[in-house]
Amino acid sequence: MTFNGTILLVDDEAHIRKLVGLIAKQLGEPTILEAANGAEALETYERERPDLVLLDISMPVMDGLETLKRLHVLDPDANVIMLTSMANRQSVDEAVNHGALNYLRKDMPREEIREALAETLVDLIEPEE
Amino acid sequence: MDTSDTNHSKDLSDCRILIVDDDRLNIRILSGMLKAEGYQLESAASGEEALEKYPKFSPDLVLLDVMMPGINGFETCRQLNETYAADCAPIIFITAKNESDDVVEGFSAGGIDYLPKPFQPGEVVVRVRTHLKSRLLDEQQKALVEQLSKANSAKNRFLGMAAHDLRNPLAGIRGLSEFLLDKDLGELSTDQEDLVNNILTASQSMLQLVNELLDMATIESGELKIDRKDTDLIELISKSIYFAKMNADKKGTRIDFNPQTESSHMSVDPDKIKQVVDNLLSNAIKYSPPKSVVSVEFTTSECEHTISVKDQGPGIPEGERDKLFKDFGRLSVQPTGGEKSTGLGLAICRKIVEAHGATVSAQNLPDLGCEFKVTFPLQT
Repeated sequence: MTFNGTILLVDDEAHIRKLVGLIAKQLGEPTILEAANGAEALETYERERPDLVLLDISMPVMDGLETLKRLHVLDPDANVIMLTSMANRQSVDEAVNHGALNYLRKDMPREEIREALAETLVDLIEPEE
Repeated sequence: MDTSDTNHSKDLSDCRILIVDDDRLNIRILSGMLKAEGYQLESAASGEEALEKYPKFSPDLVLLDVMMPGINGFETCRQLNETYAADCAPIIFITAKNESDDVVEGFSAGGIDYLPKPFQPGEVVVRVRTHLKSRLLDEQQKALVEQLSKANSAKNRFLGMAAHDLRNPLAGIRGLSEFLLDKDLGELSTDQEDLVNNILTASQSMLQLVNELLDMATIESGELKIDRKDTDLIELISKSIYFAKMNADKKGTRIDFNPQTESSHMSVDPDKIKQVVDNLLSNAIKYSPPKSVVSVEFTTSECEHTISVKDQGPGIPEGERDKLFKDFGRLSVQPTGGEKSTGLGLAICRKIVEAHGATVSAQNLPDLGCEFKVTFPLQT
């Protein structure tokens, strides 16, 4: 599986954006965009229309859930995977109910993050054939 | 923390006593004896009046006459106990004579003692004091327990918050140092590689410690939630082995897994059970000498599924078995590759497994090493 599309990474922590970006680059040659908060994310999304958004659940000012809802107002077909730091099932379930495709736990070993990301990307690419 | 509330405990002489008797003379005699002790007194001439005055006066003790016009003492006692339940002040009956029928009925109505008439000053004062003392101790104990459990949940919340906020930066340090070691981003000198390896090892063991503290805080605060889903246990074990292989390879340890069965589906919380299997595997690798074999088995019978992990380590030392699944229960055996241990891993495993209604056990193997088993009973 190789993924060469555009990914928007949204997390208030720079090192997490860096880490997830490096992991995504192991799956192909994606274009990586970054946003440090929900407002920036919405702005970048509107301008760049990325293929995938990786969205942190807990961020100051506008949290991931709120950002997710607004992203889907902007583009009902937006592909969003939530980033969470623990099995916070309640907010993960809520995000999935609001149209998130899946979630990744960013405290997992990078191999597990990569596998989970690849699994979701395969589903994303295939239906388009 | 502010402890002034409990330290400022009520004095015996601050206690309030409600005396209920239709005979004014009795009230006067009892009041005389008790006033000398410094108690605050209130009186009622009937059961009805006692029920009315009780909430306003909020006594620590009630002296209650049995024979009264209107509702009698037993009935008054029953109603007080019913209304105030565990908070109801102790009730001592005043009995005309030492009649055993009255005494027994008084106890069954909820009284805790009786005072026979005519009153003996020494007896009245001492009995009242004894019951007030135990009432006070009871109140202090309740307040203390409440304070401790508040302090404990504050500790758990704090621990959870601290661990949670430490986790992301640590995951970042770990992941980014792994990328440096990949050398996709450029070659490292031997010294640089050694430094990055040190950073990686330190972040790994800190992340594990933080994760385990967070798990303990979750479990202790009673927030361990089991989210059951139909799960293929063999697939789950294989996944866990796949990721454990990386650490095993470093020590030249081999992990064998040849499941002999097809039916391995079960309703469990996959994340939590994978955490248990991860932990058993990591222990097996950690405590086995380099180049050994860890064998994993999955067996199933009519009434249970069993996951077993066998290692070739030193086994569980004699007499230390009961420490194995306890919090911070580190044993005297040491990891063979300098790995770290918090002593929380197996305690967490046990709690997760038990929350599934399953059991985890450990035993030494006859020749070498030991076996950890997780047994899931199959519901019928």
